[in-house]
Amino acid sequence: MSETAVFEEGRLGRIAVVRIRPNEDLVMAVEAACREHGLSRAVVRSAVGSLVDAALEAGDRVIEVPGPGIEILTLAGEVRCDAEGAPRADLRGTIADGKAQVYGGRFRRGANPICITLELVLQEWLPARPADD
Amino acid sequence: MRTLTQPGAPLQPRLLVEWAAPAEDLRVRLSAGQDLLCGLVTALASRGVDHAAVQVIAADIARMAYLTGAEDPSGARVATYGPPSHLEGPVTLLGANGILGPGPDGDTLLHCHAVVVDAAGRLHGGHLPPGDCLLGAGGAVALVTPLRDAAFAVAYDSETNYPLFQPRKIPA
Repeated sequence: MSETAVFEEGRLGRIAVVRIRPNEDLVMAVEAACREHGLSRAVVRSAVGSLVDAALEAGDRVIEVPGPGIEILTLAGEVRCDAEGAPRADLRGTIADGKAQVYGGRFRRGANPICITLELVLQEWLPARPADD
Repeated sequence: MRTLTQPGAPLQPRLLVEWAAPAEDLRVRLSAGQDLLCGLVTALASRGVDHAAVQVIAADIARMAYLTGAEDPSGARVATYGPPSHLEGPVTLLGANGILGPGPDGDTLLHCHAVVVDAAGRLHGGHLPPGDCLLGAGGAVALVTPLRDAAFAVAYDSETNYPLFQPRKIPA
């Protein structure tokens, strides 16, 4: 019988104050920041920034929004490690393009270059017991 | 993935990271009749908080303006803001992220982007200019993570030709 809910007890730990410079991919840069600074699990606490162009996953669709100057309106998500121990970011949110049209979805890895900046605050998630991820 | 050539030479490192000390989070409620951003800055200053990560959880807005991005016709930067869009309330805020820290003149700045829905059910969102988001009857609720030891402070960025929030250690 499969479990219908899996709990992980834990608490929030260290806070990373991060800036990502232009032309870096949003998802890969968040993963690189975690890898380079030893964060294996983290949650997004706040993020403000912009993208050159955006690609958002919504179900089986990929919503491609041309920029430049796409505003990231909200960003939420977490970082966990994959089977090889590499940090993987699952980031979701809303954006607005230059025509003030709003879109939402999951940020596609390797397809969301930062335009001017991303100001990001990540907080480490510390499980009380070793986690399986 | 398309990249853009910035006006200045690329700066290293491409990722800037500083560590802030964990602190107690603050939930703050703002009453009607004040500006969302100015109200948050003033309320947090009264608690000694001038560096923070902010999530606005809820806000009822009587009227507001927001800015979205555009190409910079002058070529001095790769993108700039277009003219403001104005909304008459009632506008319901759905989510907003903000960074609080010292701005270019040393005054505390709240850099905030928000997504909202207007009275006709249409979605809008963008950069919120300070002083242009009047709270309606329900006021606002925000969850604030104060940043100690390290936080954001505005400094000129030669790559983008903008003053931008940069991670900085804060002297004790």
